[in-house]
Amino acid sequence: MTLDEIKPGQECRIVDVNLDGATGQRLMDMGFMPGTKVKIIRNAPLVDPVDLLLRGYHVSIRHHEAKGVEVEQL
Amino acid sequence: MKEIIVAVAGQPNSGKSTIFNMLTGARQHAANYPGVTVEKRTGKYSYKGNTVTLVDLPGTYSLTSYSQEERIARDFLLHEKPAVVLDIVDAANLERNLYLTFQLAEMGTPLVIALNMMDVAENRGLKIDTFKLSELLRANVVATVGKKDKGGKELKEAILNTYKGGHFRMGYGDACESCGACPGISREKGQFRVDYGEKLEPILRPLEKMLSEDPKISARYPARWLAVKLVENDSEARKLIEVL
Repeated sequence: MTLDEIKPGQECRIVDVNLDGATGQRLMDMGFMPGTKVKIIRNAPLVDPVDLLLRGYHVSIRHHEAKGVEVEQL
Repeated sequence: MKEIIVAVAGQPNSGKSTIFNMLTGARQHAANYPGVTVEKRTGKYSYKGNTVTLVDLPGTYSLTSYSQEERIARDFLLHEKPAVVLDIVDAANLERNLYLTFQLAEMGTPLVIALNMMDVAENRGLKIDTFKLSELLRANVVATVGKKDKGGKELKEAILNTYKGGHFRMGYGDACESCGACPGISREKGQFRVDYGEKLEPILRPLEKMLSEDPKISARYPARWLAVKLVENDSEARKLIEVL
């Protein structure tokens, strides 16, 4: 499953990052690596973006970016 | 008197401009949101008879060539060859910030690491062993709180010490005025290197060797850094050697 399918309050672990170019690089720069635990905090009122917690800090990404991150639910 | 050029690098919102202002006494735009410094800015200070020029680089999460900020920061480090790189690390986000630190270390310029926002990290219950970090990263590590002007004198001392090629000072507030008084680590132990493991090292090592044996390339760029970038298929890195 992919990161955009995880609901607020739930946790998951990253399996793979299937994004190329600048977006994939940026996510990896910010710590989106296989094995990293991610908690979904909340969605913005108009759904995008989604607020995540990983490695002790918050980051907001778009749902279509989250779709490129393969995860397993915990 | 020789001027010492120091590049101030770090991830967005790690406090580069705050530390820059603390060291130079400038009062320029530092705001509590990321991306304020997009172009590089310079300032000077004097310390123990030396003139130090600080160049405040834009904040970047890494040093690839995807965005303009990253290219500005990287080109400065590669082509202007600062004597020392001052890496501002958000101590409260240590893990994420160390990713850039590794890339800076790989470029081979002597590093000084400012563990900034140490108060925030401590309030979150984080305890950071600056001693150990210094030993592992083979660089001076100084704890700072830029907002409260803490650690400026120690940073200036660490920068001068690193410039002179002295041993690594350990941690914050160990009052090392004259080198040799604190339990430093000698530089002989060699430079910090990331071990990329058994899958990548057999590719990286021969490539690094090949690059370092080319006099035109090795005179300009750090071989290890270039080898890693070429394996990443970084287009700008490829251009660097294509034009030679």
